[in-house]
This record gives sequence, structure tokens and C-alpha cells, in this order.
Amino acid sequence: MTADASVSSALPGRRRLASRTVATRALAALPLLALVLWLPSTNDTYGHVATYAAIFIMVGLSMNVLTGYTGQISLGHQAFVGLGALTAANVVKTGIVPADPFMFGVGMVCASAASGVAALLLGAVALRIRGLYLALVTLVFGSVFADAIFTLPSLNGSDAGVSAYRPNSLASDYRYFLFALLLAAGCLYIDQRVRGSKVGRGLIALRENELVAQAYGVSVLRYKLIGFTISGAMAGLAGGVAAFWSQEFSDKNFTDVAGFNLALTFVVIAVVGGLGSRGGVVLAAIFFALTSPISPLLQSLANAMHWGTYYGNNKFYVSNVIGAVLLLQTVILNPGGLGQVLRPFSRWFAGHPFSLHDPDGGDTTAMEGGGVRA
Amino acid sequence: MHELVLAGGTPFSVQLNLLTPLFDGIANGAAYGLLGLGLVLLYKSNGIFNFAQGEFAMIAAIVTYVFDSGTGVLPNLPFFVAALLGVVAGVLVALITERLVIRPMFNRAKVILVVGTVGVALLLIGVEGLLPYPKTEQLPDIGTVLGVRPYVAKVDQIPIADQDVAKIVMLVVLAIAAYVFFRYTRTGTAILAVSQDSTAARVVGISVERISAISWGIAGLLGGVAGILLAVPPQGTLTPGAFTGSTLIVAFAAAVLGGMTSLPGAFVGGMGLGLIEAFANADAAFVPGLRSVANGQAELAVFVVLILVLLVRPRGLLGQES
Repeated sequence: MTADASVSSALPGRRRLASRTVATRALAALPLLALVLWLPSTNDTYGHVATYAAIFIMVGLSMNVLTGYTGQISLGHQAFVGLGALTAANVVKTGIVPADPFMFGVGMVCASAASGVAALLLGAVALRIRGLYLALVTLVFGSVFADAIFTLPSLNGSDAGVSAYRPNSLASDYRYFLFALLLAAGCLYIDQRVRGSKVGRGLIALRENELVAQAYGVSVLRYKLIGFTISGAMAGLAGGVAAFWSQEFSDKNFTDVAGFNLALTFVVIAVVGGLGSRGGVVLAAIFFALTSPISPLLQSLANAMHWGTYYGNNKFYVSNVIGAVLLLQTVILNPGGLGQVLRPFSRWFAGHPFSLHDPDGGDTTAMEGGGVRA
Repeated sequence: MHELVLAGGTPFSVQLNLLTPLFDGIANGAAYGLLGLGLVLLYKSNGIFNFAQGEFAMIAAIVTYVFDSGTGVLPNLPFFVAALLGVVAGVLVALITERLVIRPMFNRAKVILVVGTVGVALLLIGVEGLLPYPKTEQLPDIGTVLGVRPYVAKVDQIPIADQDVAKIVMLVVLAIAAYVFFRYTRTGTAILAVSQDSTAARVVGISVERISAISWGIAGLLGGVAGILLAVPPQGTLTPGAFTGSTLIVAFAAAVLGGMTSLPGAFVGGMGLGLIEAFANADAAFVPGLRSVANGQAELAVFVVLILVLLVRPRGLLGQES
């Protein structure tokens, strides 16, 4: 999968690998890559769900940049996604015809910019104060403020939704999936660059011990703001993709209980994936997209076990329980998340010999340092 | 003067009745304050935001409902017995949360603890959703139980609803009780000591684990009482997540307004925000620009208040300097 490929280049101090090593890794990655590229092409529903997974990956990485690197948490990320979707749909204004490819691109950029600016403004207020006030501010922003904005008749097509038809070149579900996958890969790259850059190192230092980092000249507010803005922009881009995925912006997906559920799902993805671990977050995003109420996976499983009706009536609650149980077991028993569990494999893909022991402990357990204070 | 009439000049000659939003605001404010008390308590003792507080309340409301109405095989108990069982259920869920989620993570980063409470909230919403009880029902309010329905008095033709009085009385009683508890009892002072410096508290012989369990138990109790008072007509509901998705969010903003560390602050903040919301909704003519915002005035007002408090006075109205 794309995650594995990225992990190899993510490790600091890249070494020159023997060509044999590279060849075995490539050989192992090939079937995964083929699966990711081939399976969604076989069936429109698969393509649809796979695109949903790609959107979840983008939001998951956005949460990863925020929570994994800055040690803050957002409980209103659905608002950034929704704001992106709203912006994209209203900028492109397709009406009943396919979007103009140029305007589609402009819409994506605007979606990203709108949410980035929103994050910057919110962060400027909340990150000044020590503690986890960002969680509160984003919560109120997501569930209260965004509700008021998203339901404005001029922005949500007078409650009927704003249509957002894809450009002709991306009309099929599979092609749109490839487009979303490309953007998800882009987010993965940005995430990796953030982690490896001066800002990323500064953020990790802040997360570990704010006072020490400050003493070394790391500006707390500035670095956290940069992190949160990148996170918001990424979520906005995911929202733009989501608008054209469902081919409309409807405020109902991002407000009230549906929106709140979405916000919590994003938290679950970031935590279960392993805070600060890209590969884990990508896998968690795929898992939660596949088990989400929009995916037919659990429904067909339930049908096979004659629980079809029960599941059909309680989809949202079932996905809540799955998410919550995985979240709680992760924070209590397995703080590194999926990223830590999969570390032997990701290390192997990075060119190290396969070993269940982790000689350098891994970055994902760094959350345990306790430098994050409230 | 009970009625203010704005007429002439504006194209909308509106008749503003200030009593209705006043009563609404106080009643809603009491709800925010009730949930806010538990939030402030846990912020004081553990230093975390407890996002599961709304579901502690919901569990209590559901348990009260199923025993009060005798759902399924359950006995049909008198309301106050059912309510007692409901509050006990709230306390139990809070204690279990403390034992299984909070205590194993005592020394971990605060953000992880907050994520833990989010997980508990999510789990409780899911489990409640899967339980077979009528989710659109409401609890009978205290007024019905006591036979003073639907209102206790009328001021200027405007009825003061019995359930609102019950909320306000309960909020005042609980706020004073909590204040006395923290001020004058050994356990209350011990909770404060642990919150200020857990190592030092341990040195003088306070069991940090016991204190944590006690504060979560009290939070469950406060949440349970709140739930039973909130799930009543006209707006109350037993839908899973209803308290978390709406009331709790405003309760957090209210607690920040009052000062996260101040118990009377939860009361003041709750009332303040309830009133701001009610008046923002009462008529958009108060702020001309808001006319174009359909139904969103109250929401916008809550958000603006939170942002302003954080910008201007992060410790809130009554909070201490951190």
C-alpha cells in the first residue's frame, strides 16, 4: 500500500540500500499496490468506498499533523472538512452540468484555503492559552458555529444541497478514486515533509517539553499555529474531494449528530492508527472507511449471519461501538496504536532486517513522554 | 416595565417581550450549569475536560425511564425510586470509567486522558443506541410527579414552567453543596490538594487513587441528577448522544465563561450563556446584521462568547489565575 512505500522514505538518515534489499521490498509491495489499484476498478460500489477511504486517509493525516506532532486535539474536524466541501461546491457551482476542469481545480484550492484560514484564526485564539483549549474551541466551532454557517440557505442551496458534478475526465467512480488517491498520497508527502522539517522537529520538541523547547528558541504559538493551519488546510482539501465524491454538498452530513459522529471518527482514526505514525493512520483510515455505515462490508457480513435487519437499523451505533472499543483499547493498552503494532513490517520495508524487536523504540511512543500538559 | 415596544422607523415593527427569553434563558442556563458543575469538578481534580459527562447524564435518564415506566420485564417503580436508581447508575458508570480508563493512564499526557473520555462518550452512545428502549420518549418532570403541572406561577401572563423551577432549585442546591464540600470538608480539601500537587498530596498521606475515584463518583452523581432534570418535556429526549451533541457543548462554553476552575463559575457561566442564547434568539432585531442568519443567532452567540472569553479573560469570570 501507499503507506508502506512512504514509510521507507520517512525514516531519517536514509541509507543507500543494497539492490537486493530494494528488490525484495518492491516485490512484496507490488501485490498490495496492485490490490489497491485493481479492486476499486472492478465495481462502482468498491470505487465509491475506496474513494471514501482515500478521503478518510487525508483527514486522518490532517489529525495526525495536529495531534501527533503538536499534541493538541481537535473535536471539530468535521467542520473543516465541511467548510472545504461547502467552499468547493459553492465556488465551482456546477448546477446540473459537469464541472469545468479548471474551476474544479480552483474549487479544490479554495476549499483547502478556506479551512486553512479558519484553522489559523481559531488557533490564534485557542493556542495562546496553555492547555487543551483547542479541543473546546474546535468542539464549539464544529458543533455550534459551523451548524449556523452550513445551514445558511444561500450556502446550502436552500436546504436542498449544492450539486457538485465531477468534471467529465473524472466522472467514473474509479477515475475519481485515482484522483483522490493521488491527493491522499500528496497529503502523505506533506505530512512526511512537515515531520522532517525544522517546523516538525520544533513541534516534536514542544510536544516533549515546552519549557525546554522554548529555551532553545522554539516559538510555541508560531509552530503550533503552523501545524494547525496545515492540518486545517488538509481537512479542507479532503472536504473538497468529499463534495465531488458525493456529487453534492449537503449540510446534513456535517451538522448535528452526523457531524459530531464524524468528528469523533476522525479522532478515533488518528488515535487507533497511532499518534504520530503515518502508516498506522493510513491503515486505520482504510479500516474505518470499510466498516463505516456507507460501506456495504458490515451489512453483507450481517446479512450472512442473519443480523441484516438489526445491523441496518443500528448502523451508526455499531460503528460507534467499534470505534470506541478500538480507541479505548489503544489508549489504555497499546498507546503506539497500529503504527507500533506494524513497526516490524514498516522497518522491514525501510530496508532493515525483519525483527520483532524494535531497537530504537520508535517515535510513536513519544506521546508517553508526558510533555503535553493541560 | 415588562414589555418593550419598538415601533416606527424600522420596517419590522416588532413587539419584544423580554420576559419569555428571560425565563427561557434561566431555564436553559440551569441545564448548562448542571452539566457544567461536573465538568468543573473534574477539571479541578484531574485537570481534564470530561467529554463523557453528557452520557453519564443520559445513562441516568434512561435507567430512570425504564424503571419508572416498567419497560419490558422491569418492575414499575415509583418515580423517585427510579430516579434514585438512575443516579446510582450514573455514579456507577463514572466509577467504572475512572477505574478502567482514567486510573491506568494516570501518569500519561493529558491529551490522552481527554481522548479516553471521548472514547467513553462514544462507547456509551453506541451501547445506549443498541439497547432496546423507546428512544423518543421523555421523562415525566418533577411537576407532574408532584401534581403541580404545568406551571407553578404566572408572571404577567407568562407561565413559569415547573420543570424550569426544578432545574434552577436543583442547580442552586448542588452548587452550594459542592462549594461547601470543597471549602469545609476534609475530602473536598483533599481533592483540591491532589489537583494542585499530587506528589505533595501523597506525601502528606492522601490516597490519590481514592480521591480520583471520589471525584469521578461525584461527577457521575452531578451528571445523573442533570440527566433526570434535562430529559423532560418539552425539549428533553432520551436519544443517545443528545446531551453530548447539544447541551454538553454549550455547557463547556458556559464553564469556560464562568472559569473552568470555579464551581460558582459554572453556575454563573451557565446562567449567563443561557440568557445570551435566549436573547440572541428572541429577536434578531437586537443586532441588525444577524437578520440574515436563519436560526443561527444563538449558536453564533455561544461561539462569539467563547472566543471573546478566551481572548480577553482566559480564566473566565470567576476562575483563578493558573
